[in-house]
Amino acid sequence: MRERFALNWLRIPSGMRRALLLVLVGWGLLLISDRISEFRVYQGASVATYFVAIVSIVLLTGYSGQVSLGHGALLAIGGYSAALVMQNLHWPFWIAFFAAVFVAALVGALLGVAAARLSGPYLAGTTLAFAVGLPSLANQFSFLGGEQGLPFDIGVAPSRFGENFSPYKWLFWISALFALFAVWLAANLLRGRYGRIWRAVRSDETAAALSGVNVARSKVLAFTVSAGFAGLAGALLCATVSLVTPGGFPLSLSFAILTGAVIGGVRSLVGAVIGAFTLVILPMVADAIAQGASDAVSTNLPAVLTGVLLIATIVISPGGIAESLSHLGRKIALRRQKRI
Amino acid sequence: MSSRMRRLTGSVAALTVIGLALSALPAQATKVHSEAGVSTDEIKIGVTIPMSGIAAPGYNKIAPAAQAYLDYVNAHGGVFGRRVMLKVEDDRYSPTLAVSKTNKLILQDKVFAIAGALGTANHLAVLNSVRLGARGIPDLFVNTGYSGFDNPVKYPTTFTYLPSYVMEAKIIGTYLANNYPGKKIGLIYQDDDFGRNAQTGFKTAGTTFVVSKGYASGSQSSPGLAAQVGAMQAAGAEVVVMFGVSSATAVALITAGKMGFKPLKWIIGSVGGDPTTLKALGVPAAILAGSTGASFLPSPTDSTDPYVSFFKGINENYNKGRDTTWDNNALVGMNMAMILVQALRAAGKKPTRNAVVAALIAKGKTFVQAGLVPLGYSKTSHAGYTGYWFGTYDTNGDLKPDGGKYTTFVTDSGSGGVTTSNYKRPALPANGLPTNK
Repeated sequence: MRERFALNWLRIPSGMRRALLLVLVGWGLLLISDRISEFRVYQGASVATYFVAIVSIVLLTGYSGQVSLGHGALLAIGGYSAALVMQNLHWPFWIAFFAAVFVAALVGALLGVAAARLSGPYLAGTTLAFAVGLPSLANQFSFLGGEQGLPFDIGVAPSRFGENFSPYKWLFWISALFALFAVWLAANLLRGRYGRIWRAVRSDETAAALSGVNVARSKVLAFTVSAGFAGLAGALLCATVSLVTPGGFPLSLSFAILTGAVIGGVRSLVGAVIGAFTLVILPMVADAIAQGASDAVSTNLPAVLTGVLLIATIVISPGGIAESLSHLGRKIALRRQKRI
Repeated sequence: MSSRMRRLTGSVAALTVIGLALSALPAQATKVHSEAGVSTDEIKIGVTIPMSGIAAPGYNKIAPAAQAYLDYVNAHGGVFGRRVMLKVEDDRYSPTLAVSKTNKLILQDKVFAIAGALGTANHLAVLNSVRLGARGIPDLFVNTGYSGFDNPVKYPTTFTYLPSYVMEAKIIGTYLANNYPGKKIGLIYQDDDFGRNAQTGFKTAGTTFVVSKGYASGSQSSPGLAAQVGAMQAAGAEVVVMFGVSSATAVALITAGKMGFKPLKWIIGSVGGDPTTLKALGVPAAILAGSTGASFLPSPTDSTDPYVSFFKGINENYNKGRDTTWDNNALVGMNMAMILVQALRAAGKKPTRNAVVAALIAKGKTFVQAGLVPLGYSKTSHAGYTGYWFGTYDTNGDLKPDGGKYTTFVTDSGSGGVTTSNYKRPALPANGLPTNK
């Protein structure tokens, strides 16, 4: 009984409990954000941002079985949409976030139609090309602000939060709130009908089609939803620097997100949390190692570390850290049962 | 009670306990310490600058040179007993990175002030996002000539270092009108606020270009500047003004050489005009020779200048950078460090952020420094240097003043005229160590 209880909390269970859990997590985050240094709070905002980006990969790759090497481009679309909406329509920033989701999802749907016809390396190649090509568009149209980009300023906290409420905490609260909202949405989606359909298609397209699933439609839908999450992550990413520039979405970003997803576990939302922390911690580790080394070493070390970690994960634990942990949990539970 | 409900209550209870435990921890005080970055024996200053990437050549020598002069001062008692240390962060000339690195400098390294931040777009992004002014963090000697940074109301703690691009363009415009009347003039500029700021200055000076072409920052490496240089050639430009970073200037000159395009005169903006950097980037001295350049510091090869020979000696003995070749970038860095030391001294034995800002406003103009034009710091203006002299690159690629002596021109970033200046800079203090208070 107790084992099943523990297991049920490892896999996020259904309905009310999920919402309640998230409210409690949010409360915990709020308390934590008051008790750690401002730098950690700032990093916390980055964790939340990467988390949303990785959830987007979990939906697409982990559940629907499609690969995207170019998620950075969808993040860019989200970032630019949010900035443009705020700059030209002067809407409040939180509406800009929803605009980012909407526009990115729209582009994702178009991309998804193409993606549904492609598979494996062809899909990877197409999305990669998308990520390489898209940011340079910013230099073609002057309303996108060229290399210098566009401002995307979420401002400072309203004065009722008090004078000492730092802009970093404000950023963290917003990022965490959107991340919680995103994970609630994703958890409901994955545990529901579409999660089942996507998993069926991922395991065997023919079998899924024979049981009445519209395979192409399910794939396009997965791409659309995933792109929406990516758009939100893009807007959050831009909010951390109050700016959207083509240089903010390098190819290395797309790879980093994918790496984060694989390391954490591409089929798990808990894995996405682990992946997000990894992506924020890695550059710090690289900095510490490269202390005093030449610029060439310190510039390239984060990428090298990411690569090594990715390879190590695939060799040692292809399901990612989250899956290894749940295996471990199951083993311990089994052993206990046997003893009883 | 169903098992489901039991599980629910169990988990809620567990989380409540965790939450209560967290509530019991003391909340961190968010009080701003005015002396962040100052300890009993050290003052920590943050710098964001391209140490790698496309714009790095040349500029990556500035911070190590500045630290070399500071090490010299530190070896001679520092600033009232405290050593001054630079914490340098590589922003790769990316606005996004400049913002995150500045946040890191302030939050993690807890620097006292930011100094020598380089790049217009980068620093605009930083000011917009990190709000240095509102937080009272000194933003000293910004190493860009964007005139918008000199705005004491909007950016109360920001002080610029270079003469503004508006000033430079106005002075170049006047120079063109005096020396090349009736000639077809072309302009290549960086397509952002750096280049737009220069265009404002040229407009004020009344300069008309037969052709002007922008390049996107970074595009000098790929696809290159063939389109821009080709446009100059096609329009028959006789005098071409190149107003970009060093890496872009080098590419433009090399591309022109390959195309066989040889205008009557290249005029190279000061930002991209350091000959050592251009030569290191593959520009043959033969192409550079005869071109016109501008500077506000003495020529680094001028051995008769007391500041130059002093700083050159420091460079030999103290510079721990990767490339310690003596050039204008090293001079720029050391001179900035000398002004920084005086700003910190003027803030007193217990320096505060406010005191540094106040000291620069009150006394910045009088600081000893190598520049041949005056600094503009005052209550109403936070502008650094205010003018230029013109020179010609010789066959070695060294910039030599026209007519054998420095004729300096000064102006403002507004609509004021361009005049020759008779400014006399203060003499080099004994051993190059400032003694101001």
